[in-house]
Amino acid sequence: MPFTAKSGKFNASIKAVTIGTGDKAITIGGENVLPFYTFDAPIENAPKVGVEITDFGMENEPECIKKYYEGCTTLAEIAKKAASFEGVDFLCFRMEGGDPNGANKSTEELIAALKEVADAVDLPLVVSGSKNVEKDAELLTKAAEALQGKNAVILPAREENYKTVGAAAGLAYGQIVGAESSVDINLAKQLNVLLTQLGVNASNIAMNVGTATAGYGYEYVASTMQRVKAAALSQNDTQLQMPIITPVASETWGVKESITSEADIPEWGDQERRGVDMEVQTAAADLACGSNAVILKHPTSIATISKMIKELI
Amino acid sequence: MTLLDLIFNGNDTVYERVEKAVSEAVEKYGTDKAVAFPDTAYSLPSYYAMTGNKVANLGDLKEAMGVVKSMMTRNKRLHDGFQSGWATLLCAEFYEALKYIDGAKPYEAPYTGHLSDAYVREQGVPLVTGDIPGVAVIIGPAPTAEQGAALVKSYQGQGMLVAMIGGVIDQCVEQGVKTGPNVRILPLGQDILSVAHVISVAVRAALIFGNITPGDAKGLNEYTFKRVFAFVNAFAPLDNVTLACGAGAIAMGFPAITNDYPYRVPKSLIVQPDVDKWNATSLEARDIKIKITKIDIPVAFASAFEGEIIRRGDMQIEFDGSRVDCFELVQTKEASEVEDHKIEIIGPDIADFPVGSKQSIGYIVEVAGKSMQPDFEPVIERKFHSYLNCVEGMMHTGQRDMIRIRVSKDTFNAGFGLKHLGEVLYARVKSEFAAVVDKCQVKIYTDPEQCTKLRHEVAIPLFDKRDERLLTLTDEGVDVYYSCIMCQAFSPSHVCVVTPERLGLCGAVSWLDAKATNELDPQGPCQVITKERPIDERIGEYEDVNEAVRKFSQGALDDVSLYSIIEKPMTSCGCFECICGIEPLSNGVCIANREYAGMTPIGMTFPELASMTGGGVQTPGFMGHGKHFISSKKFMKAEGGVGRIVWMPKDLKEQVKDRLNATAKELYGIDNFCDMIGDETVAEDPETLLAFLEEKGHPALTMEPMM
Repeated sequence: MPFTAKSGKFNASIKAVTIGTGDKAITIGGENVLPFYTFDAPIENAPKVGVEITDFGMENEPECIKKYYEGCTTLAEIAKKAASFEGVDFLCFRMEGGDPNGANKSTEELIAALKEVADAVDLPLVVSGSKNVEKDAELLTKAAEALQGKNAVILPAREENYKTVGAAAGLAYGQIVGAESSVDINLAKQLNVLLTQLGVNASNIAMNVGTATAGYGYEYVASTMQRVKAAALSQNDTQLQMPIITPVASETWGVKESITSEADIPEWGDQERRGVDMEVQTAAADLACGSNAVILKHPTSIATISKMIKELI
Repeated sequence: MTLLDLIFNGNDTVYERVEKAVSEAVEKYGTDKAVAFPDTAYSLPSYYAMTGNKVANLGDLKEAMGVVKSMMTRNKRLHDGFQSGWATLLCAEFYEALKYIDGAKPYEAPYTGHLSDAYVREQGVPLVTGDIPGVAVIIGPAPTAEQGAALVKSYQGQGMLVAMIGGVIDQCVEQGVKTGPNVRILPLGQDILSVAHVISVAVRAALIFGNITPGDAKGLNEYTFKRVFAFVNAFAPLDNVTLACGAGAIAMGFPAITNDYPYRVPKSLIVQPDVDKWNATSLEARDIKIKITKIDIPVAFASAFEGEIIRRGDMQIEFDGSRVDCFELVQTKEASEVEDHKIEIIGPDIADFPVGSKQSIGYIVEVAGKSMQPDFEPVIERKFHSYLNCVEGMMHTGQRDMIRIRVSKDTFNAGFGLKHLGEVLYARVKSEFAAVVDKCQVKIYTDPEQCTKLRHEVAIPLFDKRDERLLTLTDEGVDVYYSCIMCQAFSPSHVCVVTPERLGLCGAVSWLDAKATNELDPQGPCQVITKERPIDERIGEYEDVNEAVRKFSQGALDDVSLYSIIEKPMTSCGCFECICGIEPLSNGVCIANREYAGMTPIGMTFPELASMTGGGVQTPGFMGHGKHFISSKKFMKAEGGVGRIVWMPKDLKEQVKDRLNATAKELYGIDNFCDMIGDETVAEDPETLLAFLEEKGHPALTMEPMM
């Protein structure tokens, strides 16, 4: 008896969201199959890879990242350089310095930095906040205003500040709202419901359902993403059909495997290689579990993941 | 003349005036002359939003006047009044637009006139989030300058956006009130027609934030009604033109409050003679709730103080319900009976009592709200414990009329009085229960006679009534159940179905709690489950419940029964207070509670049982449940009910004894049923237990085999 493969094509699909404008604009989502299941149905929009830079420039970066930006002194130069790496689809600017418990940079200073970056590149933009919900409410509102017309993703609208960030990014200034929840399908869904009730168009929402480095409680992230995709596709849950963008670099470049120098633990070997490995493995797992875009930092990781995507789709 | 006639008259007056102005402008500049407000992409905003047509030049404007004329129908119906109101507002917009021809700057400080799109976007965000709770439009001079300034300041203090027209502006200037867009007080202009500028803000908010399609007049009015919390305060005397503008505002859903007028329209045109009450009247009329961000007390308020113990030597005063009459109570009242934020102290304050003495106290928190239900009273009341404990130097234990409160000397010396106890209750109830509590006032009694009287005549009868309600709440007696998925963060496929007779297995979520949670947070973990399509009443299976379980477990579970441990038993997350498992030899079940560390006759300890039962999977023969469920008539109803219980730890037996005995008496006519149930002092193995059960004549032995 001949073997007839059962099609895993679903009647529901992930919403396609376009980020950026003009030639360089990218679209994520749109598929009606599980991640990389191109044998069930074609996946029109391959997952995308972003490069992350922060308002600190190269100040806090490890040597193995710095060397790729040699000669860059201003944020504009750094942004241009980042955009030139092979495989980069979009640029993420993280306003890390805004955290009141950290450098506590003023909103004006950070918005000026954001404008400098936005003017320097023509790639689609993702803006990420300071991890402080109160500061982000103010910061991201101003960021959404500063990027009017750029169709950027304003990343962390969270349960605590979704109204402000959602209203500014999604309603007042026509950007894409990045809904961030912490590794829980119900919270992810609830945030999407709340944002749509606020009046944000469901097609202008992307999700970050939580993130971790592989090996650091990552199985929760994997299972959450898989369940989100399963509910979106097999149960046609429209409030979970938003594409997922996952920041990877900001997680993986903080763990000991990535930052401990070779001098400290010689038997672990080359630090750069370790850092890239952690980043690539986490990103590959995120994509396999359902992320429609990942945000990375090291040029080798970006090129590797980009190649992986091309080979699979 | 009827109210409608007056509106029509005002509308006609404005139309004539604007028509003349437009004709003069056309004569002066010609029809090709551009007309626009500065810094806006919407030309002209209100007219564009209402009709979908843009006005670019005087020729278009002339045409638009014709469209407006067609709105001015004169039938004696409410609709005509609203249309004429809108027509008046559009005329006002045209009139104002003419002032800006050739880039003129018709308004000088303090007047703002037209407001830019950037301002609408900037203020729109806090308006959408509720950080600006509403928009007050104040027209005309108040009876006195002090009153005018006080009214404006009262709104400003609540974070509202205030737009002013006419005499009230001069009054504010006279009283030294700072005005300007940056302080959210907007002196629009002297002429009533400058009202167009604030209408334009509301309209653009609808276009930008509400995605309203230009020309969708119905959608526009609906959006402004539902999402733009504006209202009008118009001082007497009201002329017909102001009235016609007011009709337009009412069409947008904005009520108008005035102090002297022969006509009134319920909920829309409200007469409040006392100007000092306009703030409260307006907020109530427009259903605006002010967010409370700060509790006004002289000591800290934080959960860090929750576990603080105040020793006898450190205490300034003790209110002790075990010695004297004390009680705490939430009561639902009519909105008219509650004055928001009123805190009354009846009797002496802490300072008036001797140091270290025991006194009586009774506090009643009276709440009113459109969505308030008496069923929420105990839910709110139970939070008092946590609220008062969060106060630095304050200790609260117990509930209802068995409370004990201690206030430390340090806290008293910091200036803490009973008023502040009221402030804490007020602020917390208003912010945590904002969805159901619109108004809240607190009465604190310390007079011993009053406390005794109120305890026995008000509090205890009410507690009894509530208990009775709980006892009479049955699964059959309600129309809906609730889901609870609070635990899905760590038990992803588990769903609790909470019914009046089967509380959540954690013991913390009763049907009333779930109901309140749903009301307070409609998108939250507790959702309504209907029970209209029963499949099998015996085991408690419903099609609607199964559908809900399928949905909330993301397809992991297909069906559950409410009353069976064998057939499709309900799943458990891992937070169960108790686990019940089949003991085959005696044809019954053993129950172990979380606190019990020993062995059970099933041959498993609580942790071992827990590993069988948790994780959101159905394990026939094992079930997690709350302690209160043990005495429920629905406990294992499908298998014969509580008569199946053959063993439970002694401590647990003590806790549930009274109620379980009552249930057994009612179901089987057995007295002192608990004496027939084994515990760890009787047996920890099935054989000894069986011998004990046979000796007692336990009913499980003669029931049908379970498997």
